[in-house]
Amino acid sequence: MSATIDQTALPTQEMTLNMGPQHPSTHGVLRVILRTDGEVVVNARPDVGYLHRGLQKIAERNPYGSFMPFTDRLDYLASMNCNAAYAWAVEKLAGIEVPERAEFIRVIVCELNRISSHLISFGSFTADMGAFTPFLYAIRERERVNDLFEEICGNRLTYNYCRIGGVSADLTDGWLGKVKEFLDYFEPKIDEYNNLITYNKIFVGRLANVAVVSPEDCVAYGLTGPNLRGSGVAFDLRKDEPYSVYPKFDFNVCVGRGEKGQLGDCFDRYIVRIDEMRESVKILRQAIAMIPDGPVIAKVPRVFKPAAGECYFRAENPRGETGFYLISDGSANPYRCQIRTPSYVTMNIFEKVTEGLMIADIVAVIGSFDIILPEIDR
Amino acid sequence: MSLKSYINDIWEAVTTTAKGMRITARYGIDVKEEVTIQYPEQRGPVFERFRGFLANDVKTCISCNMCVKICPVDCISLEAVRGADKKMVLVSYDVNIGRCMYCGLCVEVCPPKSLTHTGGFEKSMVARDEMVLHFIHEDAEVIRQRVARQVAEAAAKAAEEAKLAESQPKPAAPAAEPEKK
Amino acid sequence: MEQLTALIIQKVPALAVAPWAVTLLLIGIVAFIILQFAMVFAGFGTYLERKIAADIQGRIGPNRVGPIGLLQFLADGIKLILKEDIIPTAADNHLFRMAPYLIFTGSFAAFVVVPFGFSLIAADLNIGIYYVMAVTSLVSIGVLLAGWASNNKWSMLGGMRAAAQIVSYEIPVGMALIPAVLIAGSLSTQDIIRSQGGLLGIFGWNLFHNPFSFFSFFLYMVAALAETNRTPFDIPEAESELVSGYNTEYSGIRFGFFFMAEYADVFVVSALATACFLGGWQIPFFNAASLPPVWANLLSLGVFMAKALALVCVIIWIRWTLPRLRVDQLMRMSWKYMVPLTFFNFLGVSLWVLVFKGKGIPQMIASIFG
Repeated sequence: MSATIDQTALPTQEMTLNMGPQHPSTHGVLRVILRTDGEVVVNARPDVGYLHRGLQKIAERNPYGSFMPFTDRLDYLASMNCNAAYAWAVEKLAGIEVPERAEFIRVIVCELNRISSHLISFGSFTADMGAFTPFLYAIRERERVNDLFEEICGNRLTYNYCRIGGVSADLTDGWLGKVKEFLDYFEPKIDEYNNLITYNKIFVGRLANVAVVSPEDCVAYGLTGPNLRGSGVAFDLRKDEPYSVYPKFDFNVCVGRGEKGQLGDCFDRYIVRIDEMRESVKILRQAIAMIPDGPVIAKVPRVFKPAAGECYFRAENPRGETGFYLISDGSANPYRCQIRTPSYVTMNIFEKVTEGLMIADIVAVIGSFDIILPEIDR
Repeated sequence: MSLKSYINDIWEAVTTTAKGMRITARYGIDVKEEVTIQYPEQRGPVFERFRGFLANDVKTCISCNMCVKICPVDCISLEAVRGADKKMVLVSYDVNIGRCMYCGLCVEVCPPKSLTHTGGFEKSMVARDEMVLHFIHEDAEVIRQRVARQVAEAAAKAAEEAKLAESQPKPAAPAAEPEKK
Repeated sequence: MEQLTALIIQKVPALAVAPWAVTLLLIGIVAFIILQFAMVFAGFGTYLERKIAADIQGRIGPNRVGPIGLLQFLADGIKLILKEDIIPTAADNHLFRMAPYLIFTGSFAAFVVVPFGFSLIAADLNIGIYYVMAVTSLVSIGVLLAGWASNNKWSMLGGMRAAAQIVSYEIPVGMALIPAVLIAGSLSTQDIIRSQGGLLGIFGWNLFHNPFSFFSFFLYMVAALAETNRTPFDIPEAESELVSGYNTEYSGIRFGFFFMAEYADVFVVSALATACFLGGWQIPFFNAASLPPVWANLLSLGVFMAKALALVCVIIWIRWTLPRLRVDQLMRMSWKYMVPLTFFNFLGVSLWVLVFKGKGIPQMIASIFG
């Protein structure tokens, strides 16, 4: 919805604005250099790298197992998913057979974390749009997930729960019951959010037809996860490249439908996340019913040295495809660890889709892509 | 824009707003929905597996250095010397909680399970030095000297015993182990 | 005021040498009382806002300072006063200092015609409504100045947005208030309230006078929300887009002025809506004039404050529910929806008053039943 300004009538001057690195709605230390014509953005160039910690180099300096806590810091809203993705990658590299119970536990915590991550995404997005209340409702629900995680792994944000070959500890007694309780509590809340904000006229007006990404562009730029599905491409690694025990579950891949505007606008990306929470609930219910007994960690030598070789493993994280490319030279440390993070890839298309939007829309675009800065800069 | 869609726009705006306001009103009126806890007075549950500050039981610690090796951020520093009975004696065991990221790898790897997480998470300090937790309060130099003395004594004793037993002198054992990092 | 002066001079003949001094003194006292009220209300407003927000969001809200946190606003005020007053070196010093006062004056001057009670009004101007519209426009100049003088691009955008918004919403605000003026036949707020009296109780209110005035009330509330820069129309501040808009660079008591002006504005808006549509200080089923003056004033003050505060609560409730509009949507809403609708209402009320000779629906129903 780009407004046009008649350049001939009045001599106008473009203004360069620095949005960030300290800005309330760039979700961290993202810096966007805006060139604006009044309120209309002529060009928005993201400047990343303020949170670079050299995680890939750290991986080379640490044994395979000791890098696990750093994957928590990759996407801190979905640490479990990153943990599990890294563990799966190392297991693929070393050819370790993981006990089935461990796989089920991983899937359960991953899906729970997907819910909590999408909750934050939903909440911070609405807060960016000016409605602060849904944010606190989302935080309230997330607290319960955090409580559940704290009970099994001891921390609330950086879980470090997965280990190479399994998980660090078995579930506590009655934990699955608590998860069920949470699901029963949580499912009606999604409808409440929809009533409260999703279909609100102002909210829809802010999102519909803003920053439309065509399916072709999505594929060309390598968007993954809800951003890709928001444009109507039904691609989900859990279905299309099944890993772990995901093939055992029955769930749908949510795609954008162009409900309120063009296909692939901010609203579609937003609604995909809301729908995915429902699907996660579905998976969780099935997983709780199917979880087998048994050990939770495979026998892995304490000094773990996988044979020389390389592997790439990608997992469907809340923000998209997180991939670990590991090269082993037979020593205890990885020779190289390349991390593919969805948010970083998403930033490529940012400049293209923000052309001609208003400043307020930039906030909506950042929110709808659901970027997370530690992932962009890693 | 037709008149119908114009009126529809207004109608939609009014109804969706009313819907949302009903929900917030319900929360506003219902006091039971309050989830905040008044922190210093009320406290949330501390779970058994909670990963708080590290604590090392120095009596059972065998100074095996496993925790130091696995720690990804090098927040644990350990110094030990070989004692008279061939066991390692801890000279110092410090944990820098400013660096620690509470990942719990060290606790898992600890063979005698002497290193544990406490439930503690509250600490405030004014100087950075205070962030280092010392588990051995005695001065490192004092311990080192004491152990060296013990080792020397034991060596002397052993030498004497050997002399007595075999009545054949043997070279004295080295005074003390070279210091280890 | 003149009557009161005359009364005092009559009682104390010694003052007759300088009647202007008495008038001046009286004006001073009244101004002081109103200023104090506005200040305290601004403080109370912040407390109310935080408490209601907390209730809605499942939190507790301020509860540490004083009983149930009632003294929180004092603590906040003291904090604001004690904070360093930072003026950016690159800012336009004079304009930067002036802007908060302009905004402050603009919103506090409106209190002059707020009819608190039966005879509790600072000045019953015969152009009351018009006066309010005029002085609150001063706010837009202040905001624009604040945005410009800060020498900050975000602030400037905020100032520009605010100016555009306030100017465009003046029209629907004025148009939405006109039905009340038409029905009462006067611009004076006291006259408007008196016209809503009678023994019909709440059905004597302009709100129920006719369908057009009924819609006018809601249109007024929406437009007034926009004029006071409250969510969903708080785009000049828009903390998630413009950081804090025009008051980004302000700190300490200067920021406090903006803050107080906002809550003063909210109160003025609610008070005007109460006066024009909700019967003002009219005590239902009672004729205030028949009571002894002290009681009449106290009761009417209570009634007025209750209604106004209820409206303030509604405004706060709206703020914590709705997201924010975009700047172009805001303009579109003003010119495509608010302006035509308020004009339509204005026309409707005019015709109604003309055709039914100023009688409202409740009045007609009442006359059927005798």
